[in-house]
Amino acid sequence: MTPATTFVGSPVSRVDGPAKVTGAAVYAADFDIPHLAHASIVQARVPAGRIAAIDTRAAEAAPGVLAVMTHETTRRLPWHPRDPRPGVDPKAGERLHVLQDDVVRYDGQPVALVVAQSEEQARAAADLVRVDYAPTAARTRFDVAYARAPSEATAKAGRPGDTSRGDPEGAFAQAPVRVDVPFVQPREQHAAIEPHATIAAWDEDGRLTLWDKSQWVDNVRTEIAHVFGLAEDRIRVISPFVGGAFGSGLRTWPHVTLAALAAERVGRPVRLALTRRQLFTNTGFRPHTESRVRLGAFPDGRLTAILHEATGQTSTYEEYAETTLTPARQLYACPNVATRYRLLDMNVNTPSPMRGPGAATGELFLETAMDELAHALGMNPLELRRANLAKTDPDSGKPWSSNALAACWDQAAARFGWADRPRTDEARRAGRERIGSGMASAFYPAHRAKARARVTLYANGGAMIQAATSDMGPGTYTALSQVAADALGLPLEQVRVEIGDSALPPAPAHGGSITMATLGNAVANACAALRETLGADGEGDLTPALRRSGRDSAAAEGASSPGKEAQEYESAAFGAVFAEVRVDPELGTVRVARLVGGYDVGRVVNPKLARSQCIGGMVQGIGMALSEEAVFDRHCGRVMNANLSDYLVPVCADVGALEAFFVESDDRVFNPLGVKGLAEIALCGVAAAIVNAVYDATGLRMREVPVTPERIVTAQAARGR
Amino acid sequence: MREAIRFGRNGTVREVRDVHPRTTLLDWLRLGERRTGTKEGCAEGDCGACTVALGRLVDGRVVYEPVNSCILLLGQCDGADVVAVEDIAADGALHPVQEAMVTHHGSQCGFCTPGIVMSLFTLYEEGERPVGRDAVNDALAGNLCRCTGYRPIVDAALDACATAKDRRFEAHREAAACALGEIAADGADLFMRDEGRFFAAPASEESLAALLARHPDATILAGATDVGLWITKSLMEIEKIVWLGRVASLRETRSTPETLTLGAMVSHADAHAALAAIDPDLGELMRRFGSIQVRASGTVGGNIANGSPIGDLPPALIALGAKLHLAGAKGTRTLPLEDFFLGYRQQDREPGEYVRAVEIDKLRRHDAFRCFKVTKRLDEDISAVMGAFRLHLEGRRIARARIAFGGMAATPKRAPLAEAALVGLDLDDELAWAPALDALAQDYRPMSDHRASAEYRAVVARNLLFKALAEIAGDAGLRIAPRPAGLAAE
Repeated sequence: MTPATTFVGSPVSRVDGPAKVTGAAVYAADFDIPHLAHASIVQARVPAGRIAAIDTRAAEAAPGVLAVMTHETTRRLPWHPRDPRPGVDPKAGERLHVLQDDVVRYDGQPVALVVAQSEEQARAAADLVRVDYAPTAARTRFDVAYARAPSEATAKAGRPGDTSRGDPEGAFAQAPVRVDVPFVQPREQHAAIEPHATIAAWDEDGRLTLWDKSQWVDNVRTEIAHVFGLAEDRIRVISPFVGGAFGSGLRTWPHVTLAALAAERVGRPVRLALTRRQLFTNTGFRPHTESRVRLGAFPDGRLTAILHEATGQTSTYEEYAETTLTPARQLYACPNVATRYRLLDMNVNTPSPMRGPGAATGELFLETAMDELAHALGMNPLELRRANLAKTDPDSGKPWSSNALAACWDQAAARFGWADRPRTDEARRAGRERIGSGMASAFYPAHRAKARARVTLYANGGAMIQAATSDMGPGTYTALSQVAADALGLPLEQVRVEIGDSALPPAPAHGGSITMATLGNAVANACAALRETLGADGEGDLTPALRRSGRDSAAAEGASSPGKEAQEYESAAFGAVFAEVRVDPELGTVRVARLVGGYDVGRVVNPKLARSQCIGGMVQGIGMALSEEAVFDRHCGRVMNANLSDYLVPVCADVGALEAFFVESDDRVFNPLGVKGLAEIALCGVAAAIVNAVYDATGLRMREVPVTPERIVTAQAARGR
Repeated sequence: MREAIRFGRNGTVREVRDVHPRTTLLDWLRLGERRTGTKEGCAEGDCGACTVALGRLVDGRVVYEPVNSCILLLGQCDGADVVAVEDIAADGALHPVQEAMVTHHGSQCGFCTPGIVMSLFTLYEEGERPVGRDAVNDALAGNLCRCTGYRPIVDAALDACATAKDRRFEAHREAAACALGEIAADGADLFMRDEGRFFAAPASEESLAALLARHPDATILAGATDVGLWITKSLMEIEKIVWLGRVASLRETRSTPETLTLGAMVSHADAHAALAAIDPDLGELMRRFGSIQVRASGTVGGNIANGSPIGDLPPALIALGAKLHLAGAKGTRTLPLEDFFLGYRQQDREPGEYVRAVEIDKLRRHDAFRCFKVTKRLDEDISAVMGAFRLHLEGRRIARARIAFGGMAATPKRAPLAEAALVGLDLDDELAWAPALDALAQDYRPMSDHRASAEYRAVVARNLLFKALAEIAGDAGLRIAPRPAGLAAE
């Protein structure tokens, strides 16, 4: 069956737009559950140690308090191991068993929970809990001397400690042109505008309902089933709208367990909403990562050696690792490549995937080093990339299912006007400001996972699509509506999509840019199955066939999972990003005047949604390059700027002219819908392009982000000496 | 004496008498009214997801401004009309800004959307046409969006404001005017709850002084952009609140050819034009002060009285030369603004005393002024360093200088050594400026924190003084008073 493509590919407005602009969209903390009580977390104030004593008397006597829970008064939960572990969890170590022992593993760890009639009462009483600590030595300083290789489990999951192809050291030693570039990317926070919140309610039969902010309701259900030793069918997780997450909602964090425990203790539904400050230590973050890239090349620009080492931080209790070094192995054709990945256990909470995990970091390192190499070669940075295009995956030797990176380079360069960029000192001067241009490639591996979807068609011409996936903002509701409307031959407004409920057909994590390549095909397959059930073939409105069958409604399910293409091909989204910056050298301020990004993301289901998502990723890239850093005080082991006035996400005025476009691409080898996914790719390469543009403007090699005014002024002063 | 807070809600007067004095407008909307369209993203006035429009009667017409409801106490709504995101779609038809937000894909996750809609709503209803990109940037400076990259929202704003104003909301505005007129007419002191725990809003300075004499321990509240954080973040158990919002004399602005006097309750938004008329740099400083929500609520008096070492207004006013007027049980007194700041968060204010007004010395003939705010993020960012400079010139020679910095000491502080070193210098002899630039290192011993290091602050302070001198040397005659007629007008 070849469905008509009326809606797929067209820029329809988002179907949930009216609900969102009128305040009608309901998020986790908004649910109006009768008899709701409120919980507030008490956080550890030392980075490592034991709880010597905990005095809850004042809190218990405070107005409105229903319960104060500590490790001494909380029942022991089974905390069954997950086997296999979900893809979003670290592969080694053990998740935080909250309120189960007296050990403090990081500053901010929950050490008590207060439940009260109102949120204000809970917070006020939480402030009255007195905890005495017996501190122990803590690792709060990032020191690569203490780094270690990842475990075997982590290595097997695509994050190996050491890899090598060819003779990297030998080739580097003999390379005519070499660069050796250290770089630091600090801890960054997801900083979605919606704080995580959970409402937990147990019914009389011991069934648990969780209204939670989550990118993966099925995983919340499975995790809580394991933590409490419950059958999965006793738990339902509801999350219809997610106020941004960027990875923070992939795992099931300890506060979900706390909410369920609190509701059990007080015999009432309980809401636990994390404060902005608590989000920094009760969900994850992009880990602080330090890197060294060595590149060797021939005078014509062909790479002969890539040696990339990186060390990322993890917690003391879980081994979180990233695919930071994948780009070094796959982005460019190079015969001699070595990667070395190390982890540093620190007294922090466990990091987690944040938009473009691994790749965004690795490409910041690799693409700034490529810029240094281009200058060492005296070569146009764009030409250097062109000289190293990987026509097949250089790591596995497999063909790409599709690869339009060259088109991204060409078209984005043309739209940016790369050939005409200012290249003399005089042309780079605009009054007191300096103008600079920079570019970078972008790359993010594409994957699919297993999912099911259900379609129900009604005789009145309406249709319902159901799956347990989520929509944290990119537009799952809208894009699945488009796929279904085409497959059923219905107008878009006749299709309703219901997601974010674990009672619906199972879906994988809404993350890693896999949702459309996974769910889009499951929905298409469900619609095709329904068409077959009703004995209708071809295309067009399916409702007449339903009416002919005499039924009021008919339903079908469809599945989708990776096929043999996953073994035979490598799949990835590609992109090219060009940046123009303006730098005030005396004050050190950097403004991004223009960004142009060209992307190969496979088929674009909705250009309006896709463009917006890419521009959003670019702006996160501006933050990564210029302002975002969770400042970690190594003396007290605490994030010093755990709020939105000092953790600086870009504001509207920081955003100059942005252009995102898509090169022609349709990857039917990867999956029948032809999409590759576009959430992560939009962040990749942006920060590198900006850092490279800062060099072009100032001649300053900034090897640590964010490139703050202070760092520019300091680098300027160092050069002057 | 009135014992209930009274405010407008969709054309009717709401009376609230039994809430805790610390109750915020956001909590009242979400928990009291069970209307959850207004969101809490940070609870400290940074993200703007909680933005609602607050309308006050101005010459018989209700004028709306966006405010952060998370740090606005419910009592501050007394005499105002509250409009939330659920209230602006009339009869099932979306408001034009809502329509444009849908069409231009202004939402992704949608969590910041209600706040953004309300910021754009006030821009649409109150903003001057035509609306350009700068006006949209200003309108959105207090709304963070992590998904869309802002461009679709900017497009929505420009599109919605490109056509003639839709008149639909005028019916609401007129109904609100009736409701607020009724509230305003009583002229009574507001005192909610009891002597141990209250929200009070005296209607005159006599009542205010009497109340403060009775309760010298009460917290004086102006715009709550700082006190609101004491409540939502520091969990301070403030039980007695005296809000200045009903004292008409504290809202007065007086201008003479020599001075500008701003009452303590004059909001930053209301002070903006008068300050911009003194010097365009002051106008730009006010534009970048917090966000439009913070400027609508926050007051000149509050920014001075809370004594923050990083407040943006005090250094500018100290450099200009400003006097502070205080009043209390012992009568009134006046002191140079710089003398008000004694130490870190320590001010020369007796218990029961309050700031009445600040009197600013305007620029005279042959005066030049510059002020600069250095931040990482362009808008809504706390200054690492804020510097302000006033020079009096005799020809090309500096005859007098006043310099003040924020972020360089525990208080906003002048630079006496650098000021002295500038006197007699020639604007055209750049090499001779060095002693004055060097003197800043003696004037200030800045500290390091997560916003900036001491070394960086010292370098930037020096560069700012250089920038001020270079600019004044470069365009003498252009930006040195007397000003072109258009700018001098008030």
